[in-house]
Amino acid sequence: MQRRKIYHYSFLPAALLLLVVACKKQEYALPTPKDVLQNDCIKRTLGPNIVGQKIEFAYAMAILPAKGKLVSAEVEASIAGAPGTYMENKSYYTDQGGVDVGIPIGDSSVTKGTNTAVTFTTDTFATTLRYYYVIPDEARGKTVNFTFTTKSSNGETASFSMGPYTIAKMDMVRNLKVSTDKMAYISIADMTVYDSTAAAANPDKIDLVYVYRKFDSSAFNHALVSPAADTNYLPGVMLPAGVSRNSKLIKVFNLQDYNLALLQYGIYIDDVDFQKLDFTNAPDYAINLKAEAGAWIETADAKYRAYIYINSVKSDGTAVISIKRLAL
Amino acid sequence: MKKHINIVLILLVAACTWSACKKDFPVDEDGLLITTRQECYVSSFELLGTDFVTVRVGAAVIDTTAQTIDVTVQFGTDLKNLYPQFTLASDCKLDPKITGKVDFSDLAHPKVYTVISGNRQIKKPYSVNITVQPRQ
Repeated sequence: MQRRKIYHYSFLPAALLLLVVACKKQEYALPTPKDVLQNDCIKRTLGPNIVGQKIEFAYAMAILPAKGKLVSAEVEASIAGAPGTYMENKSYYTDQGGVDVGIPIGDSSVTKGTNTAVTFTTDTFATTLRYYYVIPDEARGKTVNFTFTTKSSNGETASFSMGPYTIAKMDMVRNLKVSTDKMAYISIADMTVYDSTAAAANPDKIDLVYVYRKFDSSAFNHALVSPAADTNYLPGVMLPAGVSRNSKLIKVFNLQDYNLALLQYGIYIDDVDFQKLDFTNAPDYAINLKAEAGAWIETADAKYRAYIYINSVKSDGTAVISIKRLAL
Repeated sequence: MKKHINIVLILLVAACTWSACKKDFPVDEDGLLITTRQECYVSSFELLGTDFVTVRVGAAVIDTTAQTIDVTVQFGTDLKNLYPQFTLASDCKLDPKITGKVDFSDLAHPKVYTVISGNRQIKKPYSVNITVQPRQ
């Protein structure tokens, strides 16, 4: 009984103390900057990493003026970037008009193998430099890592690791012009468009024919048709000799892949999307295609799967298409 | 006395549990409520392609007496991969259930869907007759 009383009496002051502590106002204090060389990094590009495209990073570094100044910034990639890989030698700020203005802080970057470096030539204590890595073909299907390093005049070094990033196996080509009377033969294998003469020279590479027809009683319009499709879907088309492959198509709408469309939609087609497709019972034509529509395609030899996006169409029988393709 | 209170409490809890689990409303094998409604018809019908855009040309003609749905689809419609959508009278359900793409390519043998009324007593089979629009 006595012990119970003690518990009761000790609980009350403890609860009061907790209340007082909980309500205590913490005074704001300016954070004290670290007095060592610091760095940070973000990856700015989104979506799949596609061979031939860039991965963009923003690498920030800073040191207290009293401690020294920045001397260099460099990036070590686990796989050497393709030609065009570089680091900005300008630090940007946005002016009142919303325009990014670059201030040179050093020499142009030098890329040697896997290393890209900028040497500072002006007294700089804090800056953010952009790094653009052009994805090489040898990175296809592999992962890439990056180590960003900065050095300061007082001998300090700071590093920041980024990755690993998986490089997609797919290929991409943008803005191919097709026309129903000339450049009408689409090759998924070559990721290009041929005229009838070139198609006759490469009949085993022609997977689709672009057709535009205007009928009063039906909506045919812009179409992607397999050469082996029923002639009803190839009205008035004289196929070059040997062009007879039978590709499968699945018509799609509202799949404005960002890489292909470059529109505001945050949709990205990645390798896995091609792998999940089921072409069982898929037809060999897709007619009445509109701008921003598209079609999934599997080639006759099942060697490739692709997505053809219709960037734009014109009523004169022309269109602009973009292709993503995965070799199976 | 304490023993009696305990027994009463246990009985009370058991009674509450039993009444809580008591089935107030009948449900069918799909877990859907069986009501008293006898209405049994299709009020509208839609047919979508793989791009989830309609393939119809004009509205579907629904004959609730003949129990048929006549729909004309665009030339070039991929009849093997279509998504039908039925709107039914209140509390009705459809058999077979639509779980994905449906193959309508056998035009000689129209697909038949049965509408079952809310009270599950009335069943009306509807035939979906598809006509493909000619190219020209």
